[in-house]
Amino acid sequence: MNKVMTTKEAVAKHVNDGDFLFIGGYICRPPFAVIHELIRQNKRKLTITRSNAADDFDMMIGAGIVDRFIGTFLSLGLYGLARCFRRAVEKEIPHRIDVEEYTNLSLPMMLLAGSFGMPFIPVKDMAGSDILSVKSFMGDDKFKVIDSPFDGTPTVVVPALNPDVAVIHVQQADESGNAQIWGIGGDCKVGANAAKKVIVSCERVVSRDTIGKDPSRTIVPDFKVAAVVEEPFGAHPGYAPGFYDVDFGFGSLYQQASETVEGFRRFLDEWVLDREDRNAYVAHYIERFGYDAFKKLTAKFDYGYPVSYAF
Amino acid sequence: MPFELNSELQYRETVREKTLFGGSGTMHEHPDDYIKPELMACCGAREISDGNVVIVGTGFPTMSANIAKHTHAPNAMLMQESGVYDARPERPALSVGDPCLNPGAAMIGGLVDVMGMFLQAGWVDVGFLSGSQVDRFGNINTTVIGPYGNPKSRLPGSGGANPIGSLAKRVLIIALHDSRRLADRVDFITTPGYIDGPGAREKWGLPAGTGPAVIITNKAIMRFDSETKEAYLHSYHPGSSVEEIEALTPWSLNVSDDVHETEPPRRDELRVVREILDPFGMIRIYESRGYV
Repeated sequence: MNKVMTTKEAVAKHVNDGDFLFIGGYICRPPFAVIHELIRQNKRKLTITRSNAADDFDMMIGAGIVDRFIGTFLSLGLYGLARCFRRAVEKEIPHRIDVEEYTNLSLPMMLLAGSFGMPFIPVKDMAGSDILSVKSFMGDDKFKVIDSPFDGTPTVVVPALNPDVAVIHVQQADESGNAQIWGIGGDCKVGANAAKKVIVSCERVVSRDTIGKDPSRTIVPDFKVAAVVEEPFGAHPGYAPGFYDVDFGFGSLYQQASETVEGFRRFLDEWVLDREDRNAYVAHYIERFGYDAFKKLTAKFDYGYPVSYAF
Repeated sequence: MPFELNSELQYRETVREKTLFGGSGTMHEHPDDYIKPELMACCGAREISDGNVVIVGTGFPTMSANIAKHTHAPNAMLMQESGVYDARPERPALSVGDPCLNPGAAMIGGLVDVMGMFLQAGWVDVGFLSGSQVDRFGNINTTVIGPYGNPKSRLPGSGGANPIGSLAKRVLIIALHDSRRLADRVDFITTPGYIDGPGAREKWGLPAGTGPAVIITNKAIMRFDSETKEAYLHSYHPGSSVEEIEALTPWSLNVSDDVHETEPPRRDELRVVREILDPFGMIRIYESRGYV
């Protein structure tokens, strides 16, 4: 079944106000093209989750489309603290967000449980920390401490997460949605498979035959996928292995812009709201920084051996 | 011909060659032109034993683990929480998700693989952590300064710190030595050290034989008393003194009976830093962050 559509169509059709979204990425493959469209369509009251969130989450919070964040970490990495996140938590600008705190072990495990159809999962971390002494919108359902039914030892259990929609960016997918990645995975596979449906954004749409040449790379099967959108350069300023590098200069630009509310709004206008789609974004990038700068991000070719599945 | 195995092999050879320099008679000399972040990175390296499985973040942890790997611990194995095992980056990684960690790694999975199958399952020997606040029991705060509900400053949160601090067998903590970064009691325990003292980790069910081993600051090395679980002064860095460190530490700091000066970086350690790991001197950025 051909599920290829524009990002505009995919977001309009498959994301509702108030939805709970898993947004994949780990500097590697953040689905920025779709995130910008969520902001352009002004989706409201979203709950968003992923482990180790970065500039994409900060931007969604600053744009005011997020009410709740199930998170572990949010920073601009190299560029320091996430400014919009700080303003939202410290000063309720643009509005208050509620944060449920987990860790880079417990949150992926909750998504794993969700992807496995399990109700909850035991984890060995968080015990003895204040992460267990603060609860937000999940209340007493944030975690429970039970005696293990097997040996009686106290055990922290956390609930499964099943987001309404997962948004991921991958290197390639076929038109029905079989999605393939290579390189750092973060919690992308478990997050996508825990969701009720998946929007797959990809660098390139390939044939079913191409998928079949290396099927071990597929992280989500097509039957879970609602929409496929082709967005080359769609993870920028993050990177996609084999396609393009992290844009450190742009990261710094965002950090400086987001220092102030005004700067952030101007950045949002320039790179998101005044751009109709990703093509317009790329065109603006080239116009602003030159084709050489754009080209410089392109990955070198360094193929490994091709794999063979023959018998 | 698109399949260029040669470049990969050449890279391996270069690294291998560079690791073989260590045999000269001058390797144990202590050059005096080092900067404090280099000393701290070397202190971290010396905490790693050969064969250790080490989970690293960027900056000091990567630097320390690689110094160890290129000197006394060639079989130390490194992983990043993002899902990478045994990366062979061509330049220093700027984050645990850095593109340079991908090509050449022995395995790439995701968080469930590294944090679940490796760390939670008990395979990780050494973890490195740093924090905006570290207290005398080695608890670390990376969540908020001030009250949680009304923070003076919202920090990033746990990320991988809590599970690493909970589950790695030895935790090495990097901190700035001043009365703001060190605390009698952190505002928020993001990552448990010895929590509130002896028996606390056991009471909470954290695995036996885990916990912080050392706090490496820009002034000193502090270790943890096996009875009281409190950090005490083990050694002071060249240029500092017991008195200075006592004055900079916001709790009444116990001092080891055999307190001594920290061994400065050796020539072989510095060569690894400057010639292999960080040829552009990116470690100097830590000086501007106060590590002097």
